[in-house]
Amino acid sequence: MRSFRILTPRDVATAVDQLPATRGPATREDARVLAGGQDILTELKHDLIAPEALVDLSSIAGLEGHERTPDGGLRIGAMTRLVDLERDASLAGAFAVLREAAASVASPQIRTQATVGGNLCQRPRCAYYRHSHAPCIKKGGSECFAATGHNKYNAIFGGGPSYIVHPSDLAPALVALNAEAVVVGPRGERRMPLENFFTLPSEGSILRENVLGKNEVLSELIVPKPADGTVSTYLKFRERESYDFALVAVACTLRIDGSKLASASLVLGGVAPIPWRATRAEVLLANAEVGVDLVRRAAQASIEGAAPLSENGYKLPLTRNLVWKALTALGAGGAR
Amino acid sequence: MSFMQEEKRPGKKKIKTTRVVNGLDVEEEVWVDDLEAPLFKPREECRLLGTRMKRVDGPAKLTGAAEYTSDVRLEGMLYAKVLLCPFGRAKVKIDAAPALASKGCVHARQLVDETKYLGQPVAVVAAATPELAEDALRALVVEYEPLPWVLDRGQALAEGAPEVRSRGNLGRPTEDGDAGEVEAAFAQCAVVVEQEYSVPVQHHVCLETHGTVVDYRGGEDAIVYCSTQSTHGIVGDAAESLGLRKAQVRGIVQHMGGGFGSKFGLERAGTLACEISREQKRPVHLMWNREAEFLTSGNRTGAWQRVKAGANKDGRMLAMSSDVERYGGIGGGSHAGLPYLYSVEKSLRKHASVYMHLDTNCAMRAPGHPQASFAMESVVDELAAGLGMDAVEFRKRNLNSPAHLRQLDRVAELIGWNEHPNRTAPGSVDGFEAVGIGFGCSRWGVGGSPVCQVDVRVMNDGSVTAEVGSQDLGTGTRTYLAAIVAEELGRPLDGVQARLGDSRMGNANGSGGSTTTPSLAPAVQDAARQMRGVLSVAAAEHFGCAPEEVVLDPDGARAPGGKLTWLELCALLPPEGASVRGTWQSDLAVSGVACTQAARVRVDLLTGRVKVEKMVCLQECGRPLNRLALESQIRGAMTQALSYALLEERRVDPQLGIALSADLETYKIAGSLEIPEFVALVDDDDLREGVAGVGEPPVIPGAGAIANAVFNACGVRLRHLPLTPDKVLNAIEERKSS
Ligand SMILES: Cc1cc2nc3c(=O)[nH]c(=O)nc-3n(C[C@H](O)[C@H](O)[C@H](O)COP(=O)(O)OP(=O)(O)OC[C@H]3O[C@@H](n4cnc5c(N)ncnc54)[C@H](O)[C@@H]3O)c2cc1C
Repeated sequence: MRSFRILTPRDVATAVDQLPATRGPATREDARVLAGGQDILTELKHDLIAPEALVDLSSIAGLEGHERTPDGGLRIGAMTRLVDLERDASLAGAFAVLREAAASVASPQIRTQATVGGNLCQRPRCAYYRHSHAPCIKKGGSECFAATGHNKYNAIFGGGPSYIVHPSDLAPALVALNAEAVVVGPRGERRMPLENFFTLPSEGSILRENVLGKNEVLSELIVPKPADGTVSTYLKFRERESYDFALVAVACTLRIDGSKLASASLVLGGVAPIPWRATRAEVLLANAEVGVDLVRRAAQASIEGAAPLSENGYKLPLTRNLVWKALTALGAGGAR
Repeated sequence: MSFMQEEKRPGKKKIKTTRVVNGLDVEEEVWVDDLEAPLFKPREECRLLGTRMKRVDGPAKLTGAAEYTSDVRLEGMLYAKVLLCPFGRAKVKIDAAPALASKGCVHARQLVDETKYLGQPVAVVAAATPELAEDALRALVVEYEPLPWVLDRGQALAEGAPEVRSRGNLGRPTEDGDAGEVEAAFAQCAVVVEQEYSVPVQHHVCLETHGTVVDYRGGEDAIVYCSTQSTHGIVGDAAESLGLRKAQVRGIVQHMGGGFGSKFGLERAGTLACEISREQKRPVHLMWNREAEFLTSGNRTGAWQRVKAGANKDGRMLAMSSDVERYGGIGGGSHAGLPYLYSVEKSLRKHASVYMHLDTNCAMRAPGHPQASFAMESVVDELAAGLGMDAVEFRKRNLNSPAHLRQLDRVAELIGWNEHPNRTAPGSVDGFEAVGIGFGCSRWGVGGSPVCQVDVRVMNDGSVTAEVGSQDLGTGTRTYLAAIVAEELGRPLDGVQARLGDSRMGNANGSGGSTTTPSLAPAVQDAARQMRGVLSVAAAEHFGCAPEEVVLDPDGARAPGGKLTWLELCALLPPEGASVRGTWQSDLAVSGVACTQAARVRVDLLTGRVKVEKMVCLQECGRPLNRLALESQIRGAMTQALSYALLEERRVDPQLGIALSADLETYKIAGSLEIPEFVALVDDDDLREGVAGVGEPPVIPGAGAIANAVFNACGVRLRHLPLTPDKVLNAIEERKSS
């Protein structure tokens, strides 16, 4: 790690001013955003980046904390610590998915420090990306080494030219809740569905995983009010039961009206370079009669179109089974 | 054929003992004095020995007061760090001048021109603080010219592959057995299994990395603090690197954060620290970082094992042939050989090393044994299943030690085998989860050797010390050193101060092969017994009785003539107190301990997760000294075996020539949520009076037991460790579709 300066802006506009205005690959001069530091510190230590300064968002008042909006939705400041979501017992029903996702991240120590914004903006965990001597395509090289090398942890959907998976646990949960992202840049604020915040390697810049420019800051997330009676869950499966990233995760919200599924949202983690909406399964589920057969078909539909690599074929049955489990747990298979 | 008269020597007897050579135990016969051994008190009379004693150094460790090598801070100390070559092999050109010009840096140099393995240290720097040393490393101008490497079997054995050593990448195999006899034996078999089993390279993952702090400021004396398994063993190498004589160097190992076989010498970190200290005439601190620990500190040999085995319809194993490849990097690898433990009537084997550009294997907790055990326990289980025979019964028909037979019954009972539905056929992959039980056995040589010199001293103010230069790897050596003396002299445990980890104290062996306790404890008992004699004589003179009439107990000394408190008794000693030296007593050490384990697992058929729910281990250990310490050794071994079975695996990218698992995020070890209910039992049917060490035997059979339990649960046989969910789920899916 090289030495760097810490800048402590008092407001978001100043933070934006302190960030680099240039385009193109990062240089030594580029200042970077510092939130809880749990990811960026590891990037610094492995010499993946060497910024001259870090812009510390914790010095800005008002970015931390989450609250109910007057209409029954949720506003989450980017600097809200994961532990605060994990400990908020009122995040139940439709919001349970968010609380469960937060609680599944890393370890208690990391959750105490890590923030929601940092979690959504964290960089890939692929071992090639993290190796300072593997010039992979995510770091400006020409090749994705995982495509032909070790790829047990890599993408089965949306891959190419890079096959990373997005490591965030909060991302699938918030996308499933149809959250909106609020982004502040030099020209002020813009808002977008969080789903559109994330970019596939084939669409946005290969060097990032989202739409943020170098001098843009994610300031908050707005979760619209879910329909009454919505239930949700986050099922995360990892190789080791603690302190590990998802092999596959399922964020699911649904609302059952009588014997019908009034709405369902199903977003997968650990399978694609972005939180991956299982659209075909959602289509099947929408307005369908609840029942074991529906759940089985939806689970199968969730892996349609998958393109496994040499070592990650297991993610197909794993995804299918976890989707089945999540839907069944929420009652889509009928009363149990 | 020559006839040899059994040799006799007056006053001597010949015993079998174990000597550790680079962590591997070699059995040999030695002559020792044939004296009446100073036996431990009878078990039922002991207040301390055989009970569950808390470690005497526990509070210091819990509060952080215990000083480990990496904690040592000395005035004017330099921090040294190394640069590792990130490639499989390379020519290296380094300009060290910019590093030397960087702030606080006083030493920077290239170590090699051409590397031999992935991760080899290529440069070392030393600076005033750890951060400045990091800056100096970064200031080095390094050019690597990658050279062709071989990092996996395919690359190593490919035509025209670059040679790791001059005689080719495939070592000359050791072969034995008679092919014709084995063929004939196979013809008699009712069931034959032919399969391949593999185990990955495993790392030691010592909590404290390798490293040394050298206190040398020019002049004639140096103190070397080292995280080592051999306090006395580092002195010679340190003296050589420092340009001093052995007598001028003192080795200190007060507390040690684990070695598991990887820390027998001064190691590379130590010689570098000494060299820099010699040049700079300043103390030097050099601890490996985690990456160096993973890439350059040795490891457990990986292995590929093709095995064919057969049994007759009565469940006797008649034939086995095996073809084993050892993967020990630039080392030859270690493998205990097949058949392992179980007796097979006819066997044929071919074992060879395959060399690669990776750091050499080294001793690791029962070197070579878990690999062989995994293949053997698996094939034993496959034969039992092939015959539809109870897995416990099949084992009993092929083991000949009575200890294993009784242990199998007891362990089967404790794990719930007798009520388990899948005793003769495995469960299925239908449903959501499946529960299974598996078994494994091991045996270990142990045995002590006559090397330890223990000094026990009693001062005339009543203070007692027991002292020897041995080391405590976290295994409880300090505690029994005090306890044995306290037991014999009738003192409370905290009435004896144990001192160790200093090469100026009496000699002791390196801690390998589980030989520390059987080598040390007998010498401690000898000294304790002698000291009791000295005190009894003093008391007898005072009372005017015979020394044999004196009894030492927690109150002091008693004799027909009266009573003395401990303080009164000690006040009878001369001003300099009394001191005695104990040496090894062969009758107090045992060799050969049997171990049997069982694992119960729950397999999640939807995800492939193997959850170990319970593990039982019954371990012989001769005379138990400290049950609490023994139980933690057994639990620790089961934990390491479980982690080997479920998670651990070194990964490299052979194309890029880089390491992909050189940190604790990517090299996964079991965490607290993986830990099952452990039933760690000292086998109290072992009534031998001598003591044994049990660091190693319980690590051997766990992985086989867990894999067997997975098969028993759902009929899925996994032959390649680790049993990660991807492999398990793929196998479940395959079985479902067949
Ligand atoms: C051992 C380990 C295990 C982990 N396991 C998990 C896991 O299981 N699940 C999981 O989801 N994560 C896991 N993580 C990642 C961890 O959760 C994230 O690193 C953490 O949430 C990041 O938050 P932070 O506030 O510390 O971000 P920082 O490290 O401060 O920032 C992360 C990145 O986001 C950028 N950034 C941060 N905030 C903003 C913002 N508001 N606007 C724009 N850019 C921003 C930073 O510039 C940086 O590039 C693990 C990390 C470790 C070290």
